[in-house]
Amino acid sequence: MSLVSLNILIADDNPSDRLLLKAMLSGLGHNVDVAEDGLEAIEKFDPEITQLVCLDVVMPDCDGLEAAIKIQEMSRGRFIPIVFLSGLSDTSSLVNCLKVGGSDFISKPYNLVLIAAKLDAIIRILSLQKKLEAQRDKLSSYNEQLIHEQEVAKVVYENITHSNCLSDPCLNTFFYGHHLFNGDVILAAYKPNGGMHLLIGDFTGHGLSAAIGALPLADIFFEWTRKGFLMRQIVPELNRRLKAILPADMFCSALFVDLNITDKTLEVWNGGLPDAFFFSQRQKKPQPLTSHNLPLGIVSESEFTYSTEIVSFEKGDSFLAWSDGIYEAIDSKGMMFCEHQLTPLVEGRVDSDNLLHWLRRKLETEGVLDSSHDDISCLKIDLSDAIGAEQESNTLTVEEPDTPSDFSFEYTLNAESLKNTDPLPYILQIIMTVSGLKHYSGQVFMMLSELYSNALEHGVLRLNSSLKETNDGFVLYYMERETRLSTLESGYIRIKISISSNEVGGILSIQLEDSGDGFDTSQVKLKLEDSDEMYNRGLPLLGQLCKSINFSEKGNRVEIQYQWDK
Amino acid sequence: MIMQTQYDEKKHVLTIQIEGRFDFSCHKAFKDAYSSVESNCKFELDMTKVTYVDSSALGMLLLLRDYAGGDQGEIILNNCNDAVEKILRIANFDRLFSLH
Repeated sequence: MSLVSLNILIADDNPSDRLLLKAMLSGLGHNVDVAEDGLEAIEKFDPEITQLVCLDVVMPDCDGLEAAIKIQEMSRGRFIPIVFLSGLSDTSSLVNCLKVGGSDFISKPYNLVLIAAKLDAIIRILSLQKKLEAQRDKLSSYNEQLIHEQEVAKVVYENITHSNCLSDPCLNTFFYGHHLFNGDVILAAYKPNGGMHLLIGDFTGHGLSAAIGALPLADIFFEWTRKGFLMRQIVPELNRRLKAILPADMFCSALFVDLNITDKTLEVWNGGLPDAFFFSQRQKKPQPLTSHNLPLGIVSESEFTYSTEIVSFEKGDSFLAWSDGIYEAIDSKGMMFCEHQLTPLVEGRVDSDNLLHWLRRKLETEGVLDSSHDDISCLKIDLSDAIGAEQESNTLTVEEPDTPSDFSFEYTLNAESLKNTDPLPYILQIIMTVSGLKHYSGQVFMMLSELYSNALEHGVLRLNSSLKETNDGFVLYYMERETRLSTLESGYIRIKISISSNEVGGILSIQLEDSGDGFDTSQVKLKLEDSDEMYNRGLPLLGQLCKSINFSEKGNRVEIQYQWDK
Repeated sequence: MIMQTQYDEKKHVLTIQIEGRFDFSCHKAFKDAYSSVESNCKFELDMTKVTYVDSSALGMLLLLRDYAGGDQGEIILNNCNDAVEKILRIANFDRLFSLH
């Protein structure tokens, strides 16, 4: 449709006026169609073709005002200007014309110069309108495409970040985001030997750009946890990867929790998130776990710090962490939320069973959720030593015939390697090449790590378990372990693995020898009920899993036999 | 947000004064401000009138740090109010920038 020559519809019951206007408009180069009254005008009006309608005000049957209303209904959102033709000159009838939606009027008798000028003005408006419509259409198709792409990305994003065990009954979370994508992530994964790794992270910015960084984060978190890597190996790796891929102004404030059920401790690495809180039943006030590290993705490996806090927990204690959306939120009086509203919680005046409920109510009543400018997420853990203990082979099992294997290997770590490496994930990976053992990876990992930490802590480092007896004992124990390990000058651990299996099962033998002094093996108690102390649980646990446990030499060598059936 | 810069040619110091909320809306102005001088310049941010910083402001500080040559750069944040300083300290940014 050209805008220089318009398709104009004229309705006038007076034949001479009608003909005159038609001649004038045709003479100006427009295509003109005529109707003898309002009804015919409505009939001839086609929103696809007609670009301008000229209506006489006074006509029999259906007058100009009625026709104008009907024609606008038929225009279906298009802008088709209506110009009234009138011999009337009283103000109120002219105002009525504009009121029902008319754009202008042309008074009779017709004046060619005036009509030409008005037509020019209408053409200007129409061309502006056309431009706007084109832009609107372009924008809305662009927007549709964008939404479609985001929806696809969201599915991928959720599959990766939610392939976790957040549904475990010990975990309670809530999430408030105001974008399709959330810059916050909460990840949780069972460790192969029981217990759990958790991460709560907050990326700079919001929406898609913030969510992109969550993908490698989640990927490494789940993969490395599944393979049995330890928190102190995973955290630096997360930092290294994020540093490598994120632009300089993007980073991830994060809090990593290692929930250890064998010795009932919680180790927390906090890099840039607000204080998390540990609610112990023994203390009135919760213990804050403060950020001592830079967030992930800012500094290079050499400057990265791994400074953690360890607490010992009992069944019934709980742990609470949140992203800084809560912390930076503004309350209804315009104050920083953290400073004023969280005080009762920080001072231990909120019942620990009720924490999340209390916090949610607070956020609602203070109007934070309506005006929040950051994503808000919160995580609570109800602590117990049963977390992640029974999730053996919950993955779908595809029955495939087991191929027989028969191999052995020996791996010796000397002082420097004992300090700097954790051999277990690698050993586990080799063992897991045996197809029949895949379902038992949790048990195998548990046995390996139990034996290895015994050899390292009691053998090589000569640490005494009785250190753990006091309430803060575990914390002291681990501090001492760190100190001794970092100053270790000599010592070794030798690991021998041998496996032989057929189609129906097999035997795995693990032998560990350490450079320590050994111990009086006649005192070993292998039955769980014999051992009610909280720290001597390792060996009885092994006793339950294994076919046999044998100590030899002076007690610095142990061999276990593990038998499995299909 | 209002941002003003002042360059001391003798001392080779660029002072950037920020007023109000220091957040994503400052992105372009802040980048323009620091990239108007050479990267071996010393940078001083006058935070006296900053009422609020969010995580994208922390990101912008990292961009400036990058521009100034990472560890080699010299960036001073002057007169942060308590709330602002708290946020910087939670992120442990006092290790990357001098807070005065």
